Amino acid sequence: MSLSPYLPIVGLFALAFAFALFSVAIAPLIGPRRYNKAKLEAYECGIEPTPQPVGGGRFPIKFYLTAMLFIVFDIEIIFLYPWAVAYDALGLFGFVEMVLFIGAVFIAYAYVWKRGGLDWD
Amino acid sequence: MAAEVLARSLAEPAVLAADVKLPDIDYLAIAPMLVLFGAACVGVLAAAFVPQRLRYRVQVSLVIGALLVALGLIVTVARAGRAVATAGGAIAIDGPALFLQGSVAVLGVVAVLLIAERSLERGGAFVSRASLTPGSAADRDQAEQPGATEVYPLVSFALAGMMLFVSANDLLTLFVALEVFSLPLYLLCGLARRRRLLSQESAVKYFLLGAFSSAFFLYGVALLYGFAGATGLGALRKAVQAGDGNTTLLFLGLAMLAVGLLFKVAAVPFHVWTPDVYQGAPTPITALMAACTKVAAFGALLRVFTVAFPVGAVDWRPVLVAIAIATMLVGAVLAVTQTDIKRLLAYSSIANAGYVLTGVLALSAAGVAGSLFYLVAYGFVVLAAFGVVTLVRDADGEATHLSRWAGLGRRSPLVAGVFTFLMMAFAGIPLTSGFTSKFAVFSAALGSGQVTLVVVGVLSSAVLAFPYLRVVVLMYLSEPAEDTPTVSLPGTLTAAALAIGVLATALLGVAPAPVLDLAAKAVQFVS
Amino acid sequence: MHPVIPYVLAALLFGIGGYGVLVRRNAVLLLMAVELMLNAVNLVLVTADATIVGLPHSGQVFALFVIVIAAAEIGVGLAIVLQLYRLRRTVATDSIDAGEGTVLPRAEPMPEPGSAQTGPDQVGAR
Repeated sequence: MSLSPYLPIVGLFALAFAFALFSVAIAPLIGPRRYNKAKLEAYECGIEPTPQPVGGGRFPIKFYLTAMLFIVFDIEIIFLYPWAVAYDALGLFGFVEMVLFIGAVFIAYAYVWKRGGLDWD
Repeated sequence: MAAEVLARSLAEPAVLAADVKLPDIDYLAIAPMLVLFGAACVGVLAAAFVPQRLRYRVQVSLVIGALLVALGLIVTVARAGRAVATAGGAIAIDGPALFLQGSVAVLGVVAVLLIAERSLERGGAFVSRASLTPGSAADRDQAEQPGATEVYPLVSFALAGMMLFVSANDLLTLFVALEVFSLPLYLLCGLARRRRLLSQESAVKYFLLGAFSSAFFLYGVALLYGFAGATGLGALRKAVQAGDGNTTLLFLGLAMLAVGLLFKVAAVPFHVWTPDVYQGAPTPITALMAACTKVAAFGALLRVFTVAFPVGAVDWRPVLVAIAIATMLVGAVLAVTQTDIKRLLAYSSIANAGYVLTGVLALSAAGVAGSLFYLVAYGFVVLAAFGVVTLVRDADGEATHLSRWAGLGRRSPLVAGVFTFLMMAFAGIPLTSGFTSKFAVFSAALGSGQVTLVVVGVLSSAVLAFPYLRVVVLMYLSEPAEDTPTVSLPGTLTAAALAIGVLATALLGVAPAPVLDLAAKAVQFVS
Repeated sequence: MHPVIPYVLAALLFGIGGYGVLVRRNAVLLLMAVELMLNAVNLVLVTADATIVGLPHSGQVFALFVIVIAAAEIGVGLAIVLQLYRLRRTVATDSIDAGEGTVLPRAEPMPEPGSAQTGPDQVGAR
C-alpha cells in the first residue's frame, strides 16, 4: 500500500493553511488602521448591506415551496445521465424504461400544477 | 494529436453494446407490485383531477381494488410454484416473498378499511389540508370538512414499497424500497385531524430518527459493496463464504445494515421512536404501521440475514440474541407502566418484535415458518385492537387514557368483550392466535437449542400479560365514571375490519393448520 | 492500491454528521447533518466503485440513487419541519416534548401562532 500519490494533496493543504495563518497573523501588524462607517458594517459583497426586518427577517413560505419543488424535480433528471451515456447499448428497452420514468415524474408534476403548487400568488 | 484522440472517443460509443446485458424481467412475478404502484400513480392523478365530491369514493375503491387484484396475482404466481430471482437478480419472488407480500396485501386491505372510515367522526380521521396551522381560524373551519384524499395514494405507495422490501434481493433495491415505504409513513403520521400538535410532533420524531437510521443502513450497504464488489445478496453470500475480502468492511457494514433494519422492526435499543409515534399518529395509521411495517421489516431482516450472511461464515447470532432478549424484557416491563392505551400497545408491539426475533434466531425452516405465521397472526390482532381504540371516543376524539376506559364493560359490553378477546390473544391464552403463534416460534427456537431465548420469552410473556389483564379488569370491575366515554357505533368499514381481525384471530387460534402449512411450505429463499 | 484515505475521510464525514444529529437542537441543522452522512456514503460508494475493475459501475449508479432519494427525503423532512415551525415558532427539537405518558390537553390550547404581522403562511428565516 502506497500513500505517495496523496503527498502533493497534503502539501497543497499545508500550503493553503500556512498562507491563511500568515495572512491573518501579519495583517494587524503591518496594515494601516483607518476605520470608517462602511468598514465597520457587516460585509456584504462590498455593497451597503440591505436593511433586515426586525426579528431576523421573514420570507413567504412560497420561496421554500418553490425551492423544494425545484430541487426535487431537478434531481430526478440525474437519472437521464447514465441513460444518455449508455444510450446505444440500451436500445429500445432503455428508451421505453426512460419514457415510463419521465411519465412518472410528469404525474407528480401534473399533481403539483393542478393543486396550485406552482402558483406564485 | 489531441484532436485525434477526441475524434476517436467521439466515434466510439461510451458503453459498448456487447458489455451490457439487459435484465430479463418476469413481468408476471412482479405484477402485484406493478399493479399497486400503478394504482398509487393513478391515485395521485385522481387526487388532482377527480371532482372533490367523488374523490373519496374513487380513491378508496382504487386502493382496495388494487390490493385485491395484487392479492389475486400473488396467489396465481404462488400456484404456478415459481421461485425466481428476476430483474437482473434485484427482486426474488420465492416462497417467503410471496407469503409476506400476500400478508401485506391482506393486512393492508384491513388497515385501509380502518383508514377509510368516515362515520365515526365527520370527514374521517385525517385533516383536510395538511398545511393548516393547528389552532388557527382556518383550522377550526376544517373540522367540518372531509379529510384529505391524498392519504390513499400515500398508503398505496407505502404498501407497494413494503411488498418490494420483502422481495428485494439486492441491497440497492432494498434501500429504495425502504425509502419508498418510509417516506409516505412519515407524512401520514402528521395528518391527524384531532390532536394535531401531537401528530405533527410524532411525524418530526419519526422522520428525524428514520432518516438517521436509514443513513446508517446506507453506510452499511456502501461498506458491504466495498467488501463484496457487488450489491446482490447472492454475490454477497459468495464473498462472505470465500472470506478473503476486507473483514473490517464486512463487520462494520453488517452492523450498520442491522441497525437500519432493527430500527424498522423497533427492536431495543432502536425502539425509542415507537411509543411516541404510535401515540401521535392517527390511530388507523398506527394500526397500519404496527401490522404491515412489522411484516415488511421482518421479511427483509429474514432474507438479508439468511441469504447473505450464512452463520457458518459470520456468526451474528450472539448479538441478535442479546438484542432479542433486551427487546422482550424492555417491551414487557415498560408496557406495565403505561397509562395510555396506544402507548401500551406500542410497548407490546416492541415485545412482540422480540418474539418474532426468537423465531428468526432459530435459524431453521421451522423458525422461518414460525416467524411468518407470527407476523400474520399478530397483524390481525393489532389491527383489530387499534380498530377498537378508534371506537372509544368522547367529544374531543379518541379517549386513549386508560383511566377513562374504567367501567367500559358495563356501558358497552360488546366492544369490551371484543377487546377482552384481543387482549387474551395478545397475552397468548390458548384458543387464540396469540397462543399458536407464540407456540410456533418458541418451539422452533427450542428445536434449535435456543433455551435462554425461550425462557426469557416465556417469562416476558407472563409479565406482559399483566398490563393486558389490567385493562380487562379496569373495563369490567370499575364503576363507570361520569366521563366514561361513549363507544361509537362502528361504521360499516370499521365493523368489517373488526370482524375480519377478530375472526382471523379466532380461526388462527382454533384451526391454525392451513396457514401454518402454507408458512411451512414457503420457507425456501432463492437468491 | 488500497483506498484507505477515502474510506477514512468518509468515516470522518459520517462521524461529523452523526455527531451533528446527536448534539444539534435545530431541526434544519439536523437535516443538514443527515445530508452530510448520506454524502459520506456517496464517497464510500464511489471509492469502492473505483477499486473494482470493469463494468457494471453499480457503485456510481448507486450514488445517483442516493442523491435522488436524499433529495426526496429532505423534501419530505423540510415539509414536516416547516409544519413544526408554524406550530411552535421554533425548530428546536428539544421543545418536542409531548408524550411520555402525559395526558395531553384535549382542546390543544395554543398560543395564537405568531403575532399579527405573521400570518399562517409566513415562516421566519434565521
